[in-house]
Amino acid sequence: MRIAVVNNCVPFVSGGAEHLAEALTAKLIEHGHSALLVRIPFRWEPPGKIIESMLACRLLQLPYVDRVVGLKFPAYYIPHPNKVLWLLHQFRQAYDLCGTPFQSLSDTDDGRRIREAVVHADNTLLAQARKIFTNSGVTSQRLKKFNGLDSHVLYPPLSRWEHFFCAGYGDFIFYPSRITASKRQHLVVEAMKYVKTAVRLVVAGQAEDPADLERLYRIIQENRLSDRVQVIPRFITEEEKTELFSRALACAYIPYDEDSYGYVTMESYYSRKPVITCSDSGGTDVLVKDGQTGRVVPPRPETIAIALDELFTDRGAARRMGEAGLDLVGQLSITWDHVIGNLTA
Amino acid sequence: MKIAWFTPFDQKSAIGRCSERIVAELSRHALVELWHPEGDRARETTVRTIRFRADTADTDRLASYDLIVYNFGNHLAFHRDIFLVSRRWPGLCILHDFVMHHFFAGYYLEELHDPQAYLEAIRRVYGESGRRRAEDGIAGRRARVWETEEVAEYPLFEDTLKGVYGVVVHSNFFLDRVRKVYSGPSCKLWLPYESLPAGPNGTRQNLEVPDDAVLLVTVGQVNPNKQVNRVIEALAGLRPVSGKWIYAVLGAYERNYGDLILAEVRRLGLQGVVRMPGHVPDKVLQAYLTHADICVNLRWPATEGASASAIEEMLHGKPVVVSDTGFYSELPDDCVVKIRPGQETQELPETLRRLMSDADWRRQLGDRAREFTGRHCRADLYADGLIEFAREVRHDKPMIQLADRVGGELNLMGATASMEILDTVSRECIGLFGED
Amino acid sequence: MKIIIASSFTPFAQGGATVIVDSLADAIRAQGHRVEVLALPFHPQPEALLEQMLSFRLIDLSQHGDQLIALRPPSYLLRHPNKVVWFIHHHRGAYDLWGTRYQDIPNSPEGLRIRDSIIHADNVALREAKRLYCNSQVMADRLRRFNGLEAEVLYPPLAQPERYYQDGQGDYILCVSRLVHHKRQWLAIDALRHTQTPVRLVLVGQPDPEGDSYARQLAAMSQEGGLGGRVRITSNWIPESEKVELFAQCLAVIYMPVDEDSYGYPTLEALQAGKPVITCSDSGGTRELIVDGETGLVTAPDPEAIAQAMDRLYQDRAGAARMGEAGRQRIAELGIGWDKVLRSLLA
Repeated sequence: MRIAVVNNCVPFVSGGAEHLAEALTAKLIEHGHSALLVRIPFRWEPPGKIIESMLACRLLQLPYVDRVVGLKFPAYYIPHPNKVLWLLHQFRQAYDLCGTPFQSLSDTDDGRRIREAVVHADNTLLAQARKIFTNSGVTSQRLKKFNGLDSHVLYPPLSRWEHFFCAGYGDFIFYPSRITASKRQHLVVEAMKYVKTAVRLVVAGQAEDPADLERLYRIIQENRLSDRVQVIPRFITEEEKTELFSRALACAYIPYDEDSYGYVTMESYYSRKPVITCSDSGGTDVLVKDGQTGRVVPPRPETIAIALDELFTDRGAARRMGEAGLDLVGQLSITWDHVIGNLTA
Repeated sequence: MKIAWFTPFDQKSAIGRCSERIVAELSRHALVELWHPEGDRARETTVRTIRFRADTADTDRLASYDLIVYNFGNHLAFHRDIFLVSRRWPGLCILHDFVMHHFFAGYYLEELHDPQAYLEAIRRVYGESGRRRAEDGIAGRRARVWETEEVAEYPLFEDTLKGVYGVVVHSNFFLDRVRKVYSGPSCKLWLPYESLPAGPNGTRQNLEVPDDAVLLVTVGQVNPNKQVNRVIEALAGLRPVSGKWIYAVLGAYERNYGDLILAEVRRLGLQGVVRMPGHVPDKVLQAYLTHADICVNLRWPATEGASASAIEEMLHGKPVVVSDTGFYSELPDDCVVKIRPGQETQELPETLRRLMSDADWRRQLGDRAREFTGRHCRADLYADGLIEFAREVRHDKPMIQLADRVGGELNLMGATASMEILDTVSRECIGLFGED
Repeated sequence: MKIIIASSFTPFAQGGATVIVDSLADAIRAQGHRVEVLALPFHPQPEALLEQMLSFRLIDLSQHGDQLIALRPPSYLLRHPNKVVWFIHHHRGAYDLWGTRYQDIPNSPEGLRIRDSIIHADNVALREAKRLYCNSQVMADRLRRFNGLEAEVLYPPLAQPERYYQDGQGDYILCVSRLVHHKRQWLAIDALRHTQTPVRLVLVGQPDPEGDSYARQLAAMSQEGGLGGRVRITSNWIPESEKVELFAQCLAVIYMPVDEDSYGYPTLEALQAGKPVITCSDSGGTRELIVDGETGLVTAPDPEAIAQAMDRLYQDRAGAARMGEAGRQRIAELGIGWDKVLRSLLA
């Protein structure tokens, strides 16, 4: 089959979804299909641009494509009679992020109208897809709640899973991720104020907003944590990441209410390291089971600190939970065979 | 150019009669195929005809035409299938009737049994106040809109314009109204007609009209807006001074209304001189028109886009009394006699008295009327005008198709008219592709 | 700097068009800039052109990147305050092919409107560019003639020119090009019939994804009596190394498309490998590189004339080598290379 994987894009910004799209395309080719990736720029500021981006996608054509796999808003609106969705994202600003500190669409008439248009378009156009998959239970629930549409969960596998390995359980907690407010690195850094053991923390990632990075440095400085907390304020290479994971004690991944468990969680388990997450982190709960594959704690520095200390003192538990996490990945069929089988059926 | 011409073509349809002439002339310029509803008792024509029904029509054939022309009128039975096909295959529409309310009321209420759709159609064009008025009508709290004069405030012709590539109307007042709501190509052409001679048996004698009686004639379906009652009242008032006259009202009428008029006739003692035979065969009609001394063609409100009957009467060289409204206002003052709407009681008696007593004036008016309509209301001119307009329409078509495409997508998104995206797209299209 | 390279492509339709985009991106990255390649889907069918052009116009990149370099149409419709266009071609059906049998827009009032709209849009968008470059003199002439615009010629280099080399002179003339009718491989086979020397012909190229009837026609022609196995056709994909070797060892290259917009990569590949090129007087842009008697031979597009050219090269190997060397120099004279491209585009 000639398959077009369709994703949106913001020039020069590349994150988990972009990597997944590329990985999916590569895996489709490995499985014998002709596949390519189509990326359509998306602009949402000022809000009027949202509708323009949606309309732009509706006016494009893909005549020689047998099947489209749509991943994100609004690229998934591109017209095609044989479309399958693997929803990584609806436009959350129109849905659950309304009324939260993360809302960006204003409560003016205009903002409301745009929200309604997004919901209406999702309702109408997503329903035209041949089949709808999502990347997590959370995404599926939202789709059902806000748009009345049913979907199946296809957990995103890790594309470079075979590169991760375990080289023992060291003395540091590893948190690799873009440094933003919603990933809440600042909470783990703050937790280091309260730890009682010699556990250390390594935070690695590019900060989009320098203020977020400043905040981390401020906490470190004010609490004299510079010998316990290391910040690598840039994109780290895959090699650097696998190396750090291999030696880490455990991984901390505590975003606010994310749809999915995230690559970091998977990367940790492929490195056989447990994951510490928070009770309000959202989709990490698919893989991170408290006491079995990691720790799930309330989102406060004090409680996080306790979990860090516990892992530091019981390396055996860390190993056990890390291995159990990898098993769970397999049990949930988070594999490319499973994904591609479903997307091309 | 290959043209598909959709029209009612029944013997009883006036639009069918126009089409017969127009299509003959159009064939000089283009290859024309005439599509008409299956049930029509069809007229004669030399062009290829295709009988169709909206639900079974082989409309894929329509892709082979360069242009599709749809003749729309207010009569549901005649135009229903034509309208339905036009929704799927956009084309150029010729709007014969300004008021299309009866058509849509019939379609939504009697065919689809969907009063909400009817009300929504009204709301879309006339807003919430219009919707409330219409709802009062169908709920029985007030008279139904299409049975009152208010129908001219809610004509609903606007609903025929969705997605069309171009619009032809037959009067300037209608053109102005169309242009208020439709930004595509539109034009006005004079409605073509011709006068047919009376047959050898069509004599005054056979009509039983004495030579010394003034014959007044009103033709066409007898609807209240033709104000036949006012004419009868005026004539009754003139009786002592007017000499002999006969007033023939020639056209089908609805039972209750007919009874009302006939009762009035009896009350005024005019049974011998006012005739209401209902629908008469064409030959009889032509005979009456040939021998008429005065034609009375009042309308309030005017619901047609143009008056085929007035044109026909003028082509016969007759003096015509009309209401100063709509299409009639656009006829030259020296060709017809105009009565101000609402002033019939005041102006009709004197106008009729003068006409009935002044044969010279009648002849003058009639000659000018014949000359004017003979110059303008011709099928060959109509065809020429239509072909030229068709080129403009086809030239604009890609832009209209683009606008429709975008409109369709914005509808799918539920984007509303108030959003800036409409302005943005309009601006971008003009900036990018140029205006005409 | 952050540079966006924008171009269009038709997914799963003939490739080859992305080479210039990929090599440009590599060259710019090699200079230390960050590059985002945006290849937007586009289907050049007349009935769908206007809406797709509108789509491109609605995609707003004006807040991203320091510069936008736009290549294939209609990517130059994208808005950016610092837009540089490297013009590759028009929608030819609206321009130089209008009025010919290759006109793909109907000759109707609707078609005329579409054509006018395309030209209007091109005129508007191209004038928004800070600088306008194009890939050949043919293209510059067309831009001046149809759009009233002056464009500077910036020849597209090969992706990796250093891969090409010279390795003797075999007895075959090589044609590496897609197997489509207007590339006229059929004329080459026809010409071979008229040769006096035993020169051979090697055709390499992939058929049109739309249909391979032309490829089969060529195969049939090559089997016909009289040619005795002197024509070899390879219609599957071959690796780069094999292609480069074929260039290295050939006697000459033949590349004679009908009225091509620009010189075409095969011409440049031949010169890079130090080989003379046989082309025709009606081949268009190839003649910007091939000067008759200097870097190759330009003949009338008929079999006998082409056969004579083939024989001449077979019999005069020294002359062929001289022309091949002159071809290499011509590349340098014209400054065809990535450093010049980057100097121009990123100025």
